[in-house]
Amino acid sequence: MTYHFSFGFMLDYWSALLIGLTTTLELTLICVVLGALLGFVVSLMRTSESRLIYAIGSVYVELFRGTPVLIQIFWIFFCLPIVLHVEIGNLSSAIIALSLYMAAISSETFRAAMKAISREQHDACVALGLAPLAKITRVIFPQTILRAIPTLLSNTVSLFKESSLVSAVGMSDLLYVGQNIATRTFHPVEILTTVAFIYFAIAFPLTRAVTVVEQRLLRKIDA
Amino acid sequence: MDYHLNFFFVLRDFDKLLDGLVVTLKLTVLANAMGLSLGFGVALLLGSPVRVVRWTATAFVEFFRCTPALIQIVWFFYCVPILFDVFLDAETMGLLALGLNLTAFNAEAYRAAIQAIPRAHLDASIALGLGWRARILHVVFPQALRMAVPVLITNAIGCFQQSALVALVAVSDLMYQAKTLSTQTYRPIETFTVVALIYLAISFPISQLVTYFERRNIRQMGG
Repeated sequence: MTYHFSFGFMLDYWSALLIGLTTTLELTLICVVLGALLGFVVSLMRTSESRLIYAIGSVYVELFRGTPVLIQIFWIFFCLPIVLHVEIGNLSSAIIALSLYMAAISSETFRAAMKAISREQHDACVALGLAPLAKITRVIFPQTILRAIPTLLSNTVSLFKESSLVSAVGMSDLLYVGQNIATRTFHPVEILTTVAFIYFAIAFPLTRAVTVVEQRLLRKIDA
Repeated sequence: MDYHLNFFFVLRDFDKLLDGLVVTLKLTVLANAMGLSLGFGVALLLGSPVRVVRWTATAFVEFFRCTPALIQIVWFFYCVPILFDVFLDAETMGLLALGLNLTAFNAEAYRAAIQAIPRAHLDASIALGLGWRARILHVVFPQALRMAVPVLITNAIGCFQQSALVALVAVSDLMYQAKTLSTQTYRPIETFTVVALIYLAISFPISQLVTYFERRNIRQMGG
């Protein structure tokens, strides 16, 4: 069998790929923000003295970290509408699924960052008579965020990659568009390789950024 | 619309799910065998003094780490037969993609561990006149393995979960059986929940091992 390489046809499809890429990026961005916020709340729940709140937070995190993302996406696409008795659109389902996943992995990030805040600071808050809310927003939150930034960035890279799974439930993200073009043109090698390089071109600089940010932050915090 | 939970079908076809689980576990174990052995080899190449070797290894690792696992699987499935004129069954293709993906991630873990080995140990092995093979087998590998164990286990769990992606190229693993069963019986909630719990029941205990080994490493380095 001989396969004739041809890259010319891709010029006709680059706008389709661009639309797919936009969907992927939008999805990643929305879910990173929502997931990080929810993740911070969950990490607070896991420091709670109430056993029930602690348990809810922990079960949630373990459930989402212990199962494949693909099954989470399937569950939310096919089961959540039945459970809630409402129609949920494609995009909303994808946002819910990926945000919940991001929140679960980020809550672990925040938890590790919070642990690094020294015991003395907690004592100082008590000594200064800070209200619990003020303690969280003024003392814990800023430091946790700062320390969590490098890991949050690498979580973002993971989420960017995992977002390709929504193609399995028919959302037209970058991978979905790529696969469609591949079947239509019978040129899977060129198109799938190009799609892989597009993912790479975005994820790789981000991973480098993680290293740079990590070194700078560490220097700042230690100084 | 009312949906009544009914576990009859899931229980009736439980043996199919078990068949799927066997495939999933087989893929995970074999991919880990690949990842643990090849990963160390690639980690050594990453530290090679020869520039071409180092760059090739780096390109391999970064490419597999910075693109979605799903596109790697799809790429192997569609493009390898065309490019290399080899026709392997879907399961082998899935295994290759998962194994190489894990190899890249494990190579990073080993590399970090190798860097943590004190320089003095290498000087000592040169002073003792150890050949490079003895040095790598008896000095570098045992220490790197010990140090890398927590990350290697985390990667193994990741691989177990990522193996669900092969369902999308029609390998009849646990996820594939779940999809089939839920469409055949119109019982998505029961099927996907049970299958998610099966995944959780395997990854959760293993993830607890990570905590154990991390503590042990910290204890031994401190002591």
